[in-house]
Amino acid sequence: MQDCHKSQKIALCMVGLPARGKTYISRKLHRYLNWLGYNCKVFNIGNYRREICGTECDKSFFDSKNEQATKARNECAQMALNDLINYLNSDGEIAIFDGTNTTKERRNMVQCSLLQQCQNVQTLWIESICDDADVIQNNIRLTKLNNPDYVSMNPEDATKDFLGRIKMYEEVYQKIDLDENLSFIKLINIGEDIQIHKVKGYLLSKIISYLMNLHIYPRPIYLTRHGGSTFNQENRVGGDCDLSQQGIQYSEQLGKFLLDEFPTQEQRNQIHCLTSTMKRATHTADIVCNILKINYLQLKTLDEINVGICDGLTYTQIAIQFPEDFAERKVNKLTYRYPRGESYLDLISRIEPIIYEIERSREPVLVIGHQAILRCLYAYFHRNEISEVPQLEIPIHAIIKLTPAAYYCEEIRIKIDPETGERKQIEEDLQITRINMLTKKKSYILL
Amino acid sequence: MQQYKKSQYKLILVLVGLPARGKTHISYKLNRYLNWIGYKSEIFSIKGAQQNNTQLDQNIDYELEIDPTNQQFAEVRQQLSFTAAQELVSFLQSDGDIALYNGLTSTKLDRQKLKSLFKEKLKLEYQVFWIESICDDPQVILNNINESKLSRFKDQTIEQFMNYINVLAQNYESLENIENLSYIKLINIGKLVKVHMLEGYLCSKIVSFLLNLHANNRQIYLVRSCQTEYHQLDKIGGDPELSITGKQNSQQLGDYFIEELKGNKNITFFTSQMKRGIQTAEIVGDKLGIKALKTKNLDEIDYGICDGLTVKEIAAKYPKQIKERKANPLEFKYPRGESFLDVIHRVEPIIYEIERSREPVLIIAHVAVLKCLYAYYHCNQINEIPNIDIPINCVIKLVPIPYHCLESRVIIK
Repeated sequence: MQDCHKSQKIALCMVGLPARGKTYISRKLHRYLNWLGYNCKVFNIGNYRREICGTECDKSFFDSKNEQATKARNECAQMALNDLINYLNSDGEIAIFDGTNTTKERRNMVQCSLLQQCQNVQTLWIESICDDADVIQNNIRLTKLNNPDYVSMNPEDATKDFLGRIKMYEEVYQKIDLDENLSFIKLINIGEDIQIHKVKGYLLSKIISYLMNLHIYPRPIYLTRHGGSTFNQENRVGGDCDLSQQGIQYSEQLGKFLLDEFPTQEQRNQIHCLTSTMKRATHTADIVCNILKINYLQLKTLDEINVGICDGLTYTQIAIQFPEDFAERKVNKLTYRYPRGESYLDLISRIEPIIYEIERSREPVLVIGHQAILRCLYAYFHRNEISEVPQLEIPIHAIIKLTPAAYYCEEIRIKIDPETGERKQIEEDLQITRINMLTKKKSYILL
Repeated sequence: MQQYKKSQYKLILVLVGLPARGKTHISYKLNRYLNWIGYKSEIFSIKGAQQNNTQLDQNIDYELEIDPTNQQFAEVRQQLSFTAAQELVSFLQSDGDIALYNGLTSTKLDRQKLKSLFKEKLKLEYQVFWIESICDDPQVILNNINESKLSRFKDQTIEQFMNYINVLAQNYESLENIENLSYIKLINIGKLVKVHMLEGYLCSKIVSFLLNLHANNRQIYLVRSCQTEYHQLDKIGGDPELSITGKQNSQQLGDYFIEELKGNKNITFFTSQMKRGIQTAEIVGDKLGIKALKTKNLDEIDYGICDGLTVKEIAAKYPKQIKERKANPLEFKYPRGESFLDVIHRVEPIIYEIERSREPVLIIAHVAVLKCLYAYYHCNQINEIPNIDIPINCVIKLVPIPYHCLESRVIIK
């Protein structure tokens, strides 16, 4: 749907004290909007400050009475803002301004600059407010201590200094007021209270709905393909066939695996199990959920990619009967649409409600799906580029467990032998190594 | 809609607000939406309870007691409010999924009593979500009164009614966090929205839905794509292009809309990703100077194995399916294809877009899809969907107004 909804540029500006999840929200939004196909970038003021002023800044740097430091900080904010405006005026579509923006004065400056210097821009201010000391402490532990600012300090001193930094900001903090006349959403104590003011338009409404569903409960997401089917064995695509003997065995072993993962029935009752309406997936879900003694939900949105006229053929047959299509697909697997069928891009669009549903869920989620669908889901949570989606490896008879952490997703892959039930954690493949490198290096750098 | 999300528990939506704040309007819209997406939903109000009670004088409006000092009126109103709540409980205890309550809820005490009643009488798991509508913009209140209330008050002036509301306002208590309720406050038709303790799939959906509501009475035009060669051959499904006649008809459609829209280029214009939809929309769009958004959500229902066959061929090849479809047209799913229920689910994002739009909406799509869209505005029961008539070369114009939807049809020759 996004082809023609791109008329206006959008600037999303964060507001909030340190350790309130602003960067977390920025990155989630960045992921989501890129996923929907928009050119989106995050501009983090802290990164600019680290580059310009260095990383060894203790809390006195953030004291509003420290004139020299305040001037330096304002300059950094201005530089970040200038880059953001240039981005929107060129090919950027959505820019996220990740900074504290805790005073009316600063917000007014940013809002005026944006409206004056950007052609046709809509702004949305996202304020994160939290007064739960435990949550804040946890945030600091998870995200700040690895920060380059504290590389040379021990955790206790670092925490103490950071809390001191927060106090500096608190002294001048002014929450967004109605008379600033800004479009805003306030997220208070991780969505316990939400306030929305003057929000209009397709994309902003979508962003609001997305934000309302965010939380930080680290619930695991299990992704698995249905057990092997008769078509899998014959290397055919499409169809609505049933499980092979091995497939049935895998389903049983999978059920046993999950029994061990969730030792008590109470824990099992919390599992949110989703599957498609196709026989092979439903049959797998039947077996698994019977063992776990839980219900599952069938969603047509999780049905495998529609291969149109190629339904039921083997890859060899497709190469012979539709050689141009076969060649085209090899060149551009992402955008290629099977005649009377779907493309990966269509899939990505189709599974959007599932992504909402999984994001919203605070309980463990188990998705029993199909290869193409799972590639899309996996890529969303693992922050792969969309171009990588068609090549991602989602092996049969294996379960992937994703646990969302602060700025990335932890992953464990376990191959389950259908006959013996032997579980083997699959070695890190190139995919995961790349992600680990990315997260360690880039968790505090501009995206 | 069994395969789609059915809550494990029942849901009660309680409306709170002074008169002329749009509570009834919101309840009607929500009720219509929830029934459309497959839930069994009903509204329980003082007005409803009054209509069911034949002993009462139906000419007096107990929902808006004219004289606040009239003790007898107040007592009857209490009683009706209580009756409505009891009927709500019976509804949910049997096969109801969602109940909307529009009764006495203006004070903390009222709400406390209501909560206790539910706790005492409902013997199953349920969730309560409170929807408060607040308005301090006198123009909006005036509009609301004009559009909805005045027809019920022939001997009251607007001024008297406003005064009456002001008296009520003195005892009115807005929802507060300390009451420990899960709620949404819509202030000045959603200009400011406050949500507290939102939980659950259905409530999230309802909040998203409510955020899109507004009071503009804009037109919605539903049109089928024009004639294709499949029409001439009596084939269904497929992805054929427009025939020559089809192209001519599209030109005429374009001319019709030039007159209707009077140069408004800000309309919301959607079509499907099927060739006949795109071609019709291109021709119409060229005339109007606007481009349509193409979305797969508006594609025609997937006829599965029956795709591309003529009606006769289907009757010959798949007689069992024809029988099944006759028996249950709404839920019947074409093998390897879709059912009407699937189409409703698929088309839901379009409904959000239509609701959100404050400008006229033009949709060029296909029979089954348009039946579902039309049903959202016009039908009380989704069972009626398969029987809706959506003729070709006909523009269906819908104008939703409070509590109703005006409709007119124009055949394009």
